[in-house]
Amino acid sequence: MEVKILSEHYHKDDFQGLTGYKANGGYEMLKKAFTMKPQEIIDLVKAAGLRGRGGAGFPTGVKWGFLPDNGEPRYLLCNADEGEPGTFKDREMMERAPHQLVEGMIISAFAIGSKKSYIYIRGEYDDSINSCRQAIKEAYDAGLLGKNIMGSGFDHDMDVYCGAGAYICGEETGMISSLEGKKGQPKLKPPFPAVQGYLGKPTIVNNVETLASVIYILRDGVDAYRKYGTEKSPGTKLFSVSGNVVKPGNYEVPLGYPLKDLIFDLCGGLKPGRKLKAVIPGGSSAPILTAEEAMVATLDYENLAQHGSMLGSGAVMVIDDSNCMVDLLGVTLHFYHHESCGQCTPCREGTGWLDKIVHSILDGKGRLQDIDLMDEVAGHMMGRTICALSDAAAMPTLSFLKKFRDEFEFYVREGRSKVKGQAHAQM
Amino acid sequence: MFQLSPAGIDFVKTELNRYETKRSAILPCLYKVQEENGGWVSPEAVNHLADVMDIPAAHINEVLYFYTMYNKKPVGRLHVQVCATISCAMNGARELAKHICDKYQVKEGEISDDGMVTVTKVECLGSCGTAPMMQIGNAYYENLTKESAIEVIEDLKKKSTNQ
Amino acid sequence: MLKCKINGQDVEVAEGSSIIEAFKATGQDIAHYCWHPGLSVAGVCRLCMVEIEGNPRLQIACNTQVQEGMVINNNSDKIKDAVKWGLDFHLINHPLDCPICAQAGECQLQIQYMKFGQYDPEMAERKVKKRKVVDLGPKIVLDTERCILCSRCVRFTDEVSKTNELGIFNRGDHSEIGTVDDRPLDNPYSVNTVDICPVGALTSREFRFQQRVWYLKNETTVCNGCSTGCSTKVYFNEEGMWRVKPDHNDDVNGYWMCDEGRGTPRFVNKDSRLLSAWNGQKDEGQDLEAGAAAKAVGQTLKKVVAEQGSDKVAFVVTGQYTDQENRAFLSLAKDLGVKVYHWVNNPEKMDEFDGLLIRGDKNPNTYGLKEAMKEVGVGSPWSELESSVSDLEYVVVAGPENHFAYSDLTDKVDLFSKANHQVWFVAGDHDVLRAASNKVSLIPTKTYVEKDGTYKNFEGREQRIRRVMTLVPGALSLTEASKLMSGQELLVDGNVSESYRKTNFFSSNERGYL
Repeated sequence: MEVKILSEHYHKDDFQGLTGYKANGGYEMLKKAFTMKPQEIIDLVKAAGLRGRGGAGFPTGVKWGFLPDNGEPRYLLCNADEGEPGTFKDREMMERAPHQLVEGMIISAFAIGSKKSYIYIRGEYDDSINSCRQAIKEAYDAGLLGKNIMGSGFDHDMDVYCGAGAYICGEETGMISSLEGKKGQPKLKPPFPAVQGYLGKPTIVNNVETLASVIYILRDGVDAYRKYGTEKSPGTKLFSVSGNVVKPGNYEVPLGYPLKDLIFDLCGGLKPGRKLKAVIPGGSSAPILTAEEAMVATLDYENLAQHGSMLGSGAVMVIDDSNCMVDLLGVTLHFYHHESCGQCTPCREGTGWLDKIVHSILDGKGRLQDIDLMDEVAGHMMGRTICALSDAAAMPTLSFLKKFRDEFEFYVREGRSKVKGQAHAQM
Repeated sequence: MFQLSPAGIDFVKTELNRYETKRSAILPCLYKVQEENGGWVSPEAVNHLADVMDIPAAHINEVLYFYTMYNKKPVGRLHVQVCATISCAMNGARELAKHICDKYQVKEGEISDDGMVTVTKVECLGSCGTAPMMQIGNAYYENLTKESAIEVIEDLKKKSTNQ
Repeated sequence: MLKCKINGQDVEVAEGSSIIEAFKATGQDIAHYCWHPGLSVAGVCRLCMVEIEGNPRLQIACNTQVQEGMVINNNSDKIKDAVKWGLDFHLINHPLDCPICAQAGECQLQIQYMKFGQYDPEMAERKVKKRKVVDLGPKIVLDTERCILCSRCVRFTDEVSKTNELGIFNRGDHSEIGTVDDRPLDNPYSVNTVDICPVGALTSREFRFQQRVWYLKNETTVCNGCSTGCSTKVYFNEEGMWRVKPDHNDDVNGYWMCDEGRGTPRFVNKDSRLLSAWNGQKDEGQDLEAGAAAKAVGQTLKKVVAEQGSDKVAFVVTGQYTDQENRAFLSLAKDLGVKVYHWVNNPEKMDEFDGLLIRGDKNPNTYGLKEAMKEVGVGSPWSELESSVSDLEYVVVAGPENHFAYSDLTDKVDLFSKANHQVWFVAGDHDVLRAASNKVSLIPTKTYVEKDGTYKNFEGREQRIRRVMTLVPGALSLTEASKLMSGQELLVDGNVSESYRKTNFFSSNERGYL
């Protein structure tokens, strides 16, 4: 069963505009927030156990608590650079319910004492950019942004900043670099953004879905929020389901929801005659699950970690038995090769190396030692770089090789795909 | 020599004052330059922008070459970008891209003889639930088949020629 | 101070030190490419991995601060494996063209490979093709395939020279350093990028392919190009000096020097030098042995002073000589009772400073000269010389060693031609001197790499220069010349001091040159 909290009003056409949004209770929680102390809101978010919905799952309230009390201006950045392959939940929210994001951001900004925020949206999302800009304009016109919002004495300015095509800008410090007008290369940590972020000032970066969730924690209270989900993964989450399912799309379910039910109930299962082969449960960087693992896994941070994978951004990619795993790893590695920012040597060189090896295999020129070599290269890319892109390339590699080794060995031995019957070079 | 239009210069000046740091204006200004330079950013455009913005050209060039949405060489009037990452790849995106290339007799990344079409395979555009898909200009076209994709392109070609 | 343990050794470092600084402070070995003490931390080469007790993840030493009681090592098997792979990632797309690379012998890839590598490469794929022999102007040549993208050069132009020419364009393994449109990398400090390039990506147009570095010796000294007095390393062999690099000195130049200062081989090396003394007029004359010539000049001067009076002789000094030379020369003037005039080569620019290192006073020891003149009690206004020169019998000039900084050389020769004789102590051979219209004596002097002594820089900081080679065996220091002129003999010390034995390879079999 879907539990629609964030996506409750998605189907209403007028929800995009301020009038429609207000008609459905919009900006009531902002009013409520102004009756509270900022610290009360932070405590509430902490107590609700909200975890970042962008990928890392870091507790939001704890992150907010890292801000130093040094009187420096603070920035709130909304991470709308949704680039993890398989993920398209933020885009839908920005297109259908931009005010939900804007309201969540103003409340969060009030909580953390920020006077300026940016929504960093990937440049390709033209509709999202336009709808967010429109929503911000409407909010300014209605006195919901700017000076002395709703007579609260709180000032806040908000702007949209467009990316220009770089996956790495979804990494929070990469995004900060990009917003500073540079290449979107991640920055060394420490210092962490909460201490020294955008232009060296304390900065909080939160995902679209995370910021919107704050509204509903305020509306329903901690207990009601925690009614859904598990002890360590409370609340509902948007999952983007794609790949070989009959009804792909975004689905909001409580965390801890069985992956099997998501695929076979909500998404209508696979195409007739097809068998489930594997599932990537949290975006392309999440280690792949075999069909057997997928049938028992639940969609929460702990359970997927137990299966050696992760919830990530909530992008579920369903793979049926018509797919060649060597080919899919090739596609995945091409992506990471293309997106490596080039800063850290292990990632810059490793992603290219892996991409070339897997494509040598796909060309029918693989050597048996290539499989072990990929394993070793990927192993040495893990935990060795500034950001997690290197790990994001290594993790699928290691899991594909481990769980579908027979397909790789077959490809190397026979020079052709076990599934497709011929080498991809000939296709 | 490329020069920004008066409106373009105004845009740059506004952007320079819009953010906390001047440098933040580089990304939006490069979009402006690309728009006014027929869809790509030439080296001389970089130099021109560096002069207008009073920012070292190397800083602008670094940004230009880092982000994929800036074209570093000319493209056709319709820049057909077919997403070819995982979910799209599973749903026939690569075959679709090849089909479009064949149809317009153009190699990937090159401009068709009539100057109309450039086809490139790009990485995930965040439209995985509606695969396969393509982006032309700012617009997304989703749930494509080979036929519907060609239909879309033909339609846009017509509109573009009529303008 | 913080206490920590590095590879089992107890170490104390200042608060705020990074682990890599602690390694360097204790002289412990740690691999690194991108970290440079004079630049910001990039943390991208990922080679300076260390293991910190209690932390399961390996950390980079350059971006981790030492904390009290930290136990750090970089010699465990885990680290060795990480560094070996870190190095391999650097090498897979590197062309490995060491035999034709000017950096060979001082390439950090080679050095680290000998320490951590020595394995067979596993890379079977095609390497990324990038641009080679990119012309970056008159000073620098770029090979982007060799580049390991450590970003040192980019940080240098952004942070130190603040000229912002360089950038890293593109991303992933297609990243390339370069300038926009291949514009020249030609700022007054550009060659520092060659020094800090750990590989053969940026090479100096002047030095590349000239010498294999392992055939060169080097010695530290002080640059005599201007009054800043940067610490430098000069690289030389028996043929001469081949290049100059900055030597680290926090008090003066940090890690850098200017490009101009690298030009000293131009006036030091033999082909531009005055090889023996010369007596003559208008290009006609004869070569003499330097010592004998100095002696003869001394006797003549004494005679002129005795017979015609001390106002018939004038001494001209420049800020080009060491404190010791200045004292000897000025004392001689004092003994003779003659007047001394300070030749300032570019008076209008003397106080200029570019904010980093370059100063308008193109003399290494103006400060020391002025101090010595005061102490000895000599020195008269230049205008006096200009008005009285035609009455003079002899003008004795301690001329410039770095004549490139003396654009007024011809003017001065013309001025001194109004006297009956001009005597020049000078390192370089200049046509303009030999062509002078009056009688000329030229006596060859040693350059700053051929003598010992001290310079005092613009702020009076005393710095030692040392003899590192002998290029013109007969040349004299001004001290030696002054002694000979005053009638003393030179004591030749046959015992070469131990320091020369250790550092100067001539000392083993070519002792005669010293």
